Amino acid sequence: MLEILQYSFMVRALLAGLVVAVTVPLLGSFLVARRYSLIADSLAHVSLAGVGAGLLFGLTPVFVAVPVTILGAILLEWLRQNRRISGEVSLAILMSGGLAIAVVLANFARGANTDFTSYLFGSITTTAWSDVWTLIIVAALVMMCVLGNFRALLHIAFDEDSARIAGYKVAALNYLLAALTALIVVLSLRIVGGLLMSALLVMPVITASRFARSFVQTIGYAIGFALIAVFAGLVIAFYGGVAAGGAIVLSALVLLIGAMILKG
Amino acid sequence: MLHKRKAKTISPSSRTTSAVFEPHLHADKQLLIDVDTVSVRLGNEKALEGVSFCVHTGEFIGLIGPNGAGKTTLLRVVLGLLRPTSGRVKRTYTTIGYIPQRAAQYNATVPISVREVVELGTGRRDTARVDDALRAVQMQNVADKRFNELSGGQQQRVAIAKALAAHTEVLILDEPTTGIDERSQTEFYALLRDLQQRGITIIMVSHEVDTVLSLVTRVICLNRSILYDGLPQHFEADKYLPAYYKARHLQLHHHHEEHHA
Repeated sequence: MLEILQYSFMVRALLAGLVVAVTVPLLGSFLVARRYSLIADSLAHVSLAGVGAGLLFGLTPVFVAVPVTILGAILLEWLRQNRRISGEVSLAILMSGGLAIAVVLANFARGANTDFTSYLFGSITTTAWSDVWTLIIVAALVMMCVLGNFRALLHIAFDEDSARIAGYKVAALNYLLAALTALIVVLSLRIVGGLLMSALLVMPVITASRFARSFVQTIGYAIGFALIAVFAGLVIAFYGGVAAGGAIVLSALVLLIGAMILKG
Repeated sequence: MLHKRKAKTISPSSRTTSAVFEPHLHADKQLLIDVDTVSVRLGNEKALEGVSFCVHTGEFIGLIGPNGAGKTTLLRVVLGLLRPTSGRVKRTYTTIGYIPQRAAQYNATVPISVREVVELGTGRRDTARVDDALRAVQMQNVADKRFNELSGGQQQRVAIAKALAAHTEVLILDEPTTGIDERSQTEFYALLRDLQQRGITIIMVSHEVDTVLSLVTRVICLNRSILYDGLPQHFEADKYLPAYYKARHLQLHHHHEEHHA
């Protein structure tokens, strides 16, 4: 078992997985509570468009994907707040629109460096040290923002009206949450993959909610379940030679089904 | 960071059991809310037209009216959640609490504990204040339970505790007892009366006209505009709420007949 640590790509993947498993459920708990879990899926698809553009123009895909996805997040939140079109419709439009752009751009980029599939389903071999460091820095930033505004975000997640009455800047905080989600989605692409992102965001939270008695407990348990799923998934990906994202999400699904059987 | 508006501070020495009520213990009647010829259009529909009234400290106002009369709309205007199409609302209170209809609250997929709900009112971790507030509504024993495990009546008491923890000066309730069993309703109304006697100003929308009339110090009957604004004992339900009155009358009549049969 410890032999996998002899491979430096596995060390990088595990380190990145650890960071992803801590930050994704932290954001996920707020998103699920406010019934907005599909935002991660939409943003992941948008981020793939950014990746496609990066591959096409020979730029570092992540650095193109970050601004593109944050813009997508702001657009989504603006649509939601201004009720131009309903929340789920805007999610659906951005989701398929993003993926369509991604596919077309990736097709154009064919012949150049096309590791596009690794962004779709996650991959353990393609994570570079620079990816890991970027992920750690961004994750630290995201966690600081979430913890610094914890009560406000909690209030908004469960009772937006009364948060507004209490004087919180609800609109600004909603944009903040969307932008933080965008950041984490892009940075987790390499490990989990764009098509499987929302599963990692939602499943550990739902599993945790079967056992937890409070919101803080839910976050704690969700991080625990995500860690198990990510590490199990990476190990399975290593030995089985399958896509990391698929293995991680399947592990999360097994945990969820287990929890549902245990805690009907 | 995007922090909350600074809350009223209390000195640590005053943090006793009654501390949650302390800021309201002045007897003089202050103007808290001034609603001045407010009209609201929602789409093409006139929801409110030329509504004016003032709210002073210590009042317990029952807001009644038929379905679609604009009661919830008026509450949202008063709370500042909805901008009136014309007219204005002047607010001089420091804190206001809002308890929406029961189903709307904290029943998401993700658990939240009773303590966490009340803590939302304090805006920071303050165990003593949360405990005081829960004790004031006799819910201290369920502090660590999941909010959605509580009965409807208990959930509403916790919502009150949240408002107390926030040192709420004005409490606004929108049909707070819908779907709650009769005994819990009675207890809940007793709690509201208790709060009012401690100086909290209350505005409550309710369909239970008889209960409202026996509970409040002032009745406002709304049907897009204000039909009646005055003492509950002078309110003529048959005149302002004919449909309600007729249904009620029939029901009583029916009961009467059953009794005789």
